[in-house]
Amino acid sequence: MTPTMIKTNGISKTVTTTQGQLQILKPISFEVKAGESVAIVGASGSGKSTLLSLLAGLDEVSEGEIYIDGQAMQNMDEEQRAQLRGAKVGFIFQSFMLVQSLTALENIMLPAEIAGHSDAKKRALDILELVGLDHRGDHYPNQLSGGEQQRVAIARAFISQPKILFADEPTGNLDAANSEKIERLLFELNQNSNTTLILVTHDSVLAGKCERQLHMQAGELTEVSSSSVSETIAQKAG
Amino acid sequence: MTNHTFSLAWRLFRHETKRGELTIILLAIILSVASVLSLSLFSERLKSALTEKSAEFIAADRVLQSNKPVDFAWIEKAQEMGLNTAHQTYARSMVFANEQMDLVDLRAAGTGYPLKGTVKVANEPFTQGVAITQLPESGETWIESQLFQTLGINIGDNIEVGDKIFKVSKVLTEVPDAGFSVFGGDPKVLISKEDLAATKVEGPGSRVGYSYFFTGDAADLDDYYDWLEPQLDRELHDWDSIEDDESGIGRAVGRAGQYFLLASLLAIVLAAVSIAVAAQRYSMRHYDPVAIMKTLGAPKQMVQQIYLLQILFITALGITIGAILGFLIQQLVVAAIAGKVDVSMDVWHWRPLIIAIFTGTVCALLFSLYPLMKLFSVSPLRVLRRDLGANLSSRLIQFVASGGAIFLLMWAYSQNIKVSAILFVTGIVLVVSLLAVTYGLIWVGRKFGQGKMGAWQLAWARIHRRAMDNSVQLISFAVTIMLLLIVLVMRNDMVQQWQNQLPQGTPNYFLVNISQAQQPNLQQHFVSNQVVVDKFYPVVRGRFVAVNDEKVRTAVSKEDPNEQSNGRDGLGREANLTWSNTLQKGSEVVQGKWLGVNNDNDTVAERPYEVSIEEGIAERMRLSLGDKLTFNIGSEIVDLNVTSIRKVNWQSMQPNFFFVIEPRALKSFIPTYISSFNLPSERKADITQLMQPFANVTLIDVDARINQLRNIVDQVSMAVEFILILVLAAGALVLIAQVQASMDERQQELAILRTLGAKGRLIRASVVFEFIIIGVVAGAMAAAANELSLYMLQTQIFQMPASWHLEYWIIAPIAGALVVGILGALGCWRLLSLNTSQLLRQMV
Repeated sequence: MTPTMIKTNGISKTVTTTQGQLQILKPISFEVKAGESVAIVGASGSGKSTLLSLLAGLDEVSEGEIYIDGQAMQNMDEEQRAQLRGAKVGFIFQSFMLVQSLTALENIMLPAEIAGHSDAKKRALDILELVGLDHRGDHYPNQLSGGEQQRVAIARAFISQPKILFADEPTGNLDAANSEKIERLLFELNQNSNTTLILVTHDSVLAGKCERQLHMQAGELTEVSSSSVSETIAQKAG
Repeated sequence: MTNHTFSLAWRLFRHETKRGELTIILLAIILSVASVLSLSLFSERLKSALTEKSAEFIAADRVLQSNKPVDFAWIEKAQEMGLNTAHQTYARSMVFANEQMDLVDLRAAGTGYPLKGTVKVANEPFTQGVAITQLPESGETWIESQLFQTLGINIGDNIEVGDKIFKVSKVLTEVPDAGFSVFGGDPKVLISKEDLAATKVEGPGSRVGYSYFFTGDAADLDDYYDWLEPQLDRELHDWDSIEDDESGIGRAVGRAGQYFLLASLLAIVLAAVSIAVAAQRYSMRHYDPVAIMKTLGAPKQMVQQIYLLQILFITALGITIGAILGFLIQQLVVAAIAGKVDVSMDVWHWRPLIIAIFTGTVCALLFSLYPLMKLFSVSPLRVLRRDLGANLSSRLIQFVASGGAIFLLMWAYSQNIKVSAILFVTGIVLVVSLLAVTYGLIWVGRKFGQGKMGAWQLAWARIHRRAMDNSVQLISFAVTIMLLLIVLVMRNDMVQQWQNQLPQGTPNYFLVNISQAQQPNLQQHFVSNQVVVDKFYPVVRGRFVAVNDEKVRTAVSKEDPNEQSNGRDGLGREANLTWSNTLQKGSEVVQGKWLGVNNDNDTVAERPYEVSIEEGIAERMRLSLGDKLTFNIGSEIVDLNVTSIRKVNWQSMQPNFFFVIEPRALKSFIPTYISSFNLPSERKADITQLMQPFANVTLIDVDARINQLRNIVDQVSMAVEFILILVLAAGALVLIAQVQASMDERQQELAILRTLGAKGRLIRASVVFEFIIIGVVAGAMAAAANELSLYMLQTQIFQMPASWHLEYWIIAPIAGALVVGILGALGCWRLLSLNTSQLLRQMV
């Protein structure tokens, strides 16, 4: 039986505003199996990115529980969450989020170095070749096109062989041709390394390429489609 | 710390340096180190040169004065410790020639005298002397010009000193340790030490003193003094350095030293401000990398180590470049003024280098502390929510760290807690008031700036929206302008004051012993020769015999500070007593009330005669208000009651008196008069003709001494000018750094305005207006703050009268607007020369 990679149990997020408390994420419970690809879709402001930030441990839940590969994240402090991310999680962002003062190769090496891998450079060179940028390793991000920058970001995300990859609108800043290349690369690497993919997107075509699609609306989650009948989403209303 | 952390930090540092990311903070550190090193190295070198120069006024670095010959072992010990020594015995003695006699200041100099400065001689009285390295041969003597006149002798004639006859072989025009109290000094007679015994002036009851001169390294001199001090008897011995000298040279050099110190402290503050600005910018530009690293799993400690290492690398590089640059600047300045100011290039001082490195390190670390803490607090969530900044908002840490750093530096640098505290507290008060004023102005300004969106409105809108950033920026502009104003005004005031002390036309000759009958003729004769004679002061000579009916003994006098106090001292010689109803210009009553002001209720005839005494003599002779002084004037005894103590400006080169008596006490005595006049150097030859009808009048030539003094003052003024230029340059660089940093923050807005199609002219005008507004406000605030700081500095540190500077209330805002406006326009021009896509790309 496929193990569960992500499990949420009634997680919600409430923020304090000048008008008082505002619940931006209603209680959500779902599970994602290892190696699964899940798209979270929804309009702007629907809570997609908030959900992503909670799943990735970038932000803390107000209530509920999150288990990543069996580890309870709600009990962790920021340091422990960072450690977890370093060990098990990769990221791809819409705005690439490369360190401007490091070269493409060094950006790719970064997670491996943070994790203390002594073969960081070798790994980075290998993966740079895999994303087809072996000739641009010495270039700085602002010397690369958007598509190239996102390929560097993908390479960076995969260098630590993460168990989970979070992708936030990975093609949102790219033209059609580049988007297609990136999508292909992303799914190819995902498949080859059996990574669990959580993808936040507006793009229904891209979402359609995932095994499951979860729909966010006004902080609530509904499952649109699922190729895996054994999985369910339990949603507690309000 | 792992190797990965180090190599990551190093790589980031290398790339960022190459890409110009670190330029501003690096420049700030370089600037701080370079300005502190160049200023303090220059001032140390200049101080040594000036101390060296002023050492000439005591003929050595240190002088041991004694009433008795000292144990020869003391001198041997000094020589063993590597010091140079020389010796001189001095005595007040009578000389005789042609049946004339005069009381003289006899000096018997031993080999090596003078250790510092030169003896100058001439072949004709009242002519320019030339330096000579020898001393008089045995059997010969050199005497001052006025003595030729008094004794009616010529070069080659003989004079009798004690039991020995000397041949007068030269005119003595200058000895380095002449002292500066020009009026009333006895003419000097220089003989060789070998001849002293034969004169028999040393003996029971004689008034003889011994000077032992020492030169050498300051440290050796201090070591020697440490050894010597326990053996000194305060009643007999006195250890002097130039600081103890009352010529005003010590004070001028001291004040110049204070000024250099102030200038350097202000340079440190300027540097600190620029580092703070740069560190803030550095921190903000690194929010993204920190968020990325945290997202990728970097523990907080690793992020901290990476950035602390980066700061250390930047600091080390900045200090290295800054030290080299500072040294070069200083060498350039020294080379530029070589010939005008004697600054030795050979002397190397370690202290400025240590201070510069310390400054660079403390500034870089403490001023980046808060920005770094903010940086470390950046949430990884920023990768998703780009608007998230730092989580830390306590400004208290910033104020404590920055304030602490500045105070620490000031204290370490000045080693003077008073100067540091005054500047620091004034600074705090200023910053707080400026902050309040700034908020007020920004609020008011926004009201003015409302309406249709033109350049003016855009400018005000920007100022208002970024109120906090702008107030910080405004304050740093204001502080920079204020510091520059302080340095400028202090320099002007100080140089002005020095020059006022010795204005053109300062009397360089004194006339003594003018009889009452001669006075009108003399005045007429001088006027007809186009020479203006100053005021005539009546003088009677009197011997000071008792205090409160207790007889006084031995000697002390202002004219001869070499003599020692010993018990209740008298003057040992006749004092010049003058009378006056009015307080002399430049004098100030510090205790009691001026003559005649005291006893309104008594009838004049009943009350005792009043005398006003000079502060120094009161202290030396332990006299106080109410004491009864008894003088023997022409065989009559006169009792005087001390009713006031005066501070006298001895540097004024005017006739000054220890004792000023109310006129009714001296009405029965016939006075002689003294006066002074100025004769330009080119008319020196006219002296003989001028004095010829008045053979009995004694002429004292102080031209050489005035020139010595003026020379020092000129050198110090010149050095102060260069310090000013250095500080102005440092200030200008700080302003540039600030404008650059703030330009950075404006980039995004400019890009948006550009993208929305705003015309370059509108954007440029709005930025220039913004900077002009900031410049005017900063200038006005700086002018106000300047007055307050100057008042504190002048009254508390420099001991100068406070002065007001209304002109700067106009100059500062205009200059602020011009300088800041131009710098803003230049920075803006650079940004606007980029096209919109470049602008947007730079923002990533």
